Amino acid sequence: MKKEQPKEQQKKAAPILVQMGIFAAILFVSQLISDLFPKSFVVPTPLIGMILLYILLATHIVKLEQVEKFGDFMISLIAFLFVPSGIQLAGSLGLMKREGLQDVIVIIISTIILLAVIAYVGTFFVGIHNKITGNKKGED
Amino acid sequence: MSATIVQSLTLPITGIVISLIVYLIGMGLFKISHGFFLFTPLLVGMVLGIAILVVWAKCTGSTTAAVYKKFYLPGGNLIFWFLNPATMAFAIPLYRRNDIFKKYWLDVILTLFVGGFLSLFLIHGVAKVFALSRVSTAAMLPQAATTAVAMPVAQGIGGDPAVTAMACILNAVIIYALAEFLIKVLRLNKISKIGTGLGLGSAGHTVGSAKAVQLGSIQGAMAAVAVVIVSLAMDVLVPIYAHLFM
Repeated sequence: MKKEQPKEQQKKAAPILVQMGIFAAILFVSQLISDLFPKSFVVPTPLIGMILLYILLATHIVKLEQVEKFGDFMISLIAFLFVPSGIQLAGSLGLMKREGLQDVIVIIISTIILLAVIAYVGTFFVGIHNKITGNKKGED
Repeated sequence: MSATIVQSLTLPITGIVISLIVYLIGMGLFKISHGFFLFTPLLVGMVLGIAILVVWAKCTGSTTAAVYKKFYLPGGNLIFWFLNPATMAFAIPLYRRNDIFKKYWLDVILTLFVGGFLSLFLIHGVAKVFALSRVSTAAMLPQAATTAVAMPVAQGIGGDPAVTAMACILNAVIIYALAEFLIKVLRLNKISKIGTGLGLGSAGHTVGSAKAVQLGSIQGAMAAVAVVIVSLAMDVLVPIYAHLFM
């Protein structure tokens, strides 16, 4: 691994402004695409952006080293970026007066349900898949 | 004089500074408490931020919602906007494990649709146990989708979109705080990494995916793809479920 690193580093990392530019351009296009969907079937801009970036990466139009650094940085920031969403609840404290406590309890339980159910259903399907293809190692 | 100060406080910098300070306090507390789950920076930041706005409203004799809108929102929106490129960035961990996605894409889709449908039954059941009103129950159902998808879906089946937004936000906060604990209790470290990743992405949205990326490349990739596909699944499944069972 370590021997390969200098080679990789030569290839690596487009200037951060270029990386931001790629992100911005894709987001802009995503916004335009998102507007095409009807109100009854919303597909939000960032999800389209993610799909577009994935396609561009998979087709090698955009190279990993052209987006990697900025992308990883954004992902590492995500908990902070979520703070305004949390504080947004200050605007809807009125909700809490109605049946807020029950709502919150149900939300907490639902979160755990989603995590557990999807994780175990996923394991079930992957298990079947591996049995059919005879992949005993499990998913690497 | 005080009018200019009030004017200045409505600039975006107020919201940005509040967000940064409460989050940094959270980070400090998290470090001091050696990672106590109630002191995760996001949870602390959210609670402190709301507390600041509530106190601010009390002192100026206005409502919290008004203070939030006038003083916090300009800066808050600025930070909030950066969730767009951050969400988009999850294409990168997904692409890094393209081998896994190529091999298991059918399993992923099946899991999210079947698992998503099963979860709807359970969430509906829990809502019944706690005797939620119809409006709140309907709002709970699409919470696995991202906020922007979940809100109109909830509205479509007669739920309160504000409750749905709260659910989506709290999902992320809860997963961010409790992920390690839940993984241990639910024994997710013993089962498929693909399953764990999908679960984290569905339950905790992008924040759950950020947690999954920390766990490993497979979990991160699967959580990233789950965020997209579970949203589509909820878009399709929730109206059907509501039509059949509510």
